[in-house]
Amino acid sequence: MAKSADKVAAKAAKKAKKASQPKVSPIKSIQIYLQNNTGKKLAKKVIIGIILYLVLFDLAFVFIYPFLTMISDAFKTDSDLINSTVKWIPTQLYFTNFKTAFNELHYLKFLKNSVLEAFIATIGHTFICSFVGYGFARYNFRGKGILFMGVILSMLVPVQVLVIPLYITFSNWHWLNSWLPLLVPCFFGFGLRGGFYVFLFRQFFMSLPWEMEEAARIDGCGPIKTFLKIMLPMSRSSVLVAVVLSIVWHWNDYFEPNIYLSLSPGLQLLPSKLPEMYQQLAQVAGEAEDVADGVSVVINQANCMAATFLAILPLLIAYMFVQKQFMEGVERSGLTGM
Amino acid sequence: MGNNKTKKKGMTMRQRKTLEGLMFISPWIIGALLFFVYPILVSLRLSFSDLENVAGLKMSFNGLENYEYLIFTDTNYIANFLSSVKSTCLNTPIILVFSLIIAMLINRDIKGRGFFRTVFFLPVLLGTGYIMQQLLGTGAGDVVTNSVDGIVTGVLLKAVGATFAGYVQTFLSTITVVLWKSGVQIILFLAGLQGIGASLYEAARCDGATEWENFWKITLPIVSPIILLNFVYSMIDQFTDSSNAIISNINHAILDNAQLDIGAAMAWMYFAFTLVVCGIVLLVMRKLTFNIGER
Repeated sequence: MAKSADKVAAKAAKKAKKASQPKVSPIKSIQIYLQNNTGKKLAKKVIIGIILYLVLFDLAFVFIYPFLTMISDAFKTDSDLINSTVKWIPTQLYFTNFKTAFNELHYLKFLKNSVLEAFIATIGHTFICSFVGYGFARYNFRGKGILFMGVILSMLVPVQVLVIPLYITFSNWHWLNSWLPLLVPCFFGFGLRGGFYVFLFRQFFMSLPWEMEEAARIDGCGPIKTFLKIMLPMSRSSVLVAVVLSIVWHWNDYFEPNIYLSLSPGLQLLPSKLPEMYQQLAQVAGEAEDVADGVSVVINQANCMAATFLAILPLLIAYMFVQKQFMEGVERSGLTGM
Repeated sequence: MGNNKTKKKGMTMRQRKTLEGLMFISPWIIGALLFFVYPILVSLRLSFSDLENVAGLKMSFNGLENYEYLIFTDTNYIANFLSSVKSTCLNTPIILVFSLIIAMLINRDIKGRGFFRTVFFLPVLLGTGYIMQQLLGTGAGDVVTNSVDGIVTGVLLKAVGATFAGYVQTFLSTITVVLWKSGVQIILFLAGLQGIGASLYEAARCDGATEWENFWKITLPIVSPIILLNFVYSMIDQFTDSSNAIISNINHAILDNAQLDIGAAMAWMYFAFTLVVCGIVLLVMRKLTFNIGER
């Protein structure tokens, strides 16, 4: 035990050294410090830098670990999975897992479903919630406070409280087994975390100066036109934040889709297909267990990891493109000015 | 159109503003009536009733029977309730502290800021749903603690003995899972930290303040509204998390057993409790937070 701990310690120390080496502040800044500061101060600075990066890499590793396991497992062959010496890097790039997962998920069909559903819902959320949020930010009238309390309350209520009456309402309207129960509430500022977007846009519009709107109004621009032509274009950063979060949350949602779409498998979304696959593979594994104990559990893990990776791949790709603007958007959205 | 305009001219400025404001909010009001107020009232009624026919939602009022059943007869509910509350109370402060620390670290002028920001946002992308559960369910949490913090426990084993090291290990493995829930909070803190002007810190440095003092006297008061926001967000997130004991209990009652009335009572009891807790937190934190505008 102690020996292995020592080994791990040595490994980690090596890693830390590697991590911190290129990070020690650039030569130029060192020179400046040498001119301005005493050696003691410099040493302190370097040590603080090393500790900082150590902590950061440690935390980043914790965050990225499950993700890395997923990718590495997805490429493993059966023998790699059993082989305990193969931890991170598979002996070969084995794409058959992805092929199995691809077919098993009926990937293209359900990808299309997921994209379409998330896309429509996001349009509803972004447009309507910015509209409503603008109303809450810019107009004062009696009862507004109570209505806004309602917005906050709608964020607090778990879906489970609402889902039974909603299910019955939707079944009365013959909306079940279609996407209507998932999409229509989004166009009224509800749906998946709808209140959050209203809150986000209200905070953002409240942080904007009044002058532009006043000028527009003096020039004879109506309220809706002012909103569409002036305020909405100004709120691009917040719109981006709302779009990213809405897509991500819709993409990953599976509670409501599972309930409303339970009887129409053709309409289901990608994340709801995943549990199905996990179950199927577990069954297959159960049958195989007679042949070789223990091995079977590991076999299906590679396929499942490949499937999971495929399910979130579109999100990852999309996020890579908007990452920078998204971060800037969060900073400018005024969300933090309560 | 023309008719409308003459009508508008007849109104006072205030009435017109009210009307315009209501127009903007009208989609939300309609939505609230259809998808929020009505279901919430039905579900409240359901929790006090005995469901006779699921299809037509026929029910008869039976007072507190459902609640009494949950408290006195059902053996699982109270235990699940307590475990949910306990995990929320434990996790929320951990999430807050760690997300503030991480946000402060990546707010510094460091290399690879973009990389770190993406990494710390990864859990949000991977979702709160099934995928996350699968990834965490593969024992990723345990493995992380074994590999990264094996050093810590190894050292501790030698230094203070097995019991204490065991505590530390449980603590670390909890943290791993909890950290995965703090993506949004990190981003919010980061946004708040970016809003603090560098001039404040410079002025403080001129007056001889150390970094430690800067943190307590400048950073913390300015981000205090965001702490409140994050506090409430984390709590709601934890309370409504699908891996939560009580939420899965409710799901089980509704979906598998078709005990809609009992499920409604479960959900309501839990919701009322979360509402009270959030209310208390808001009231207490309101007094403690500091707004730059006010003074």
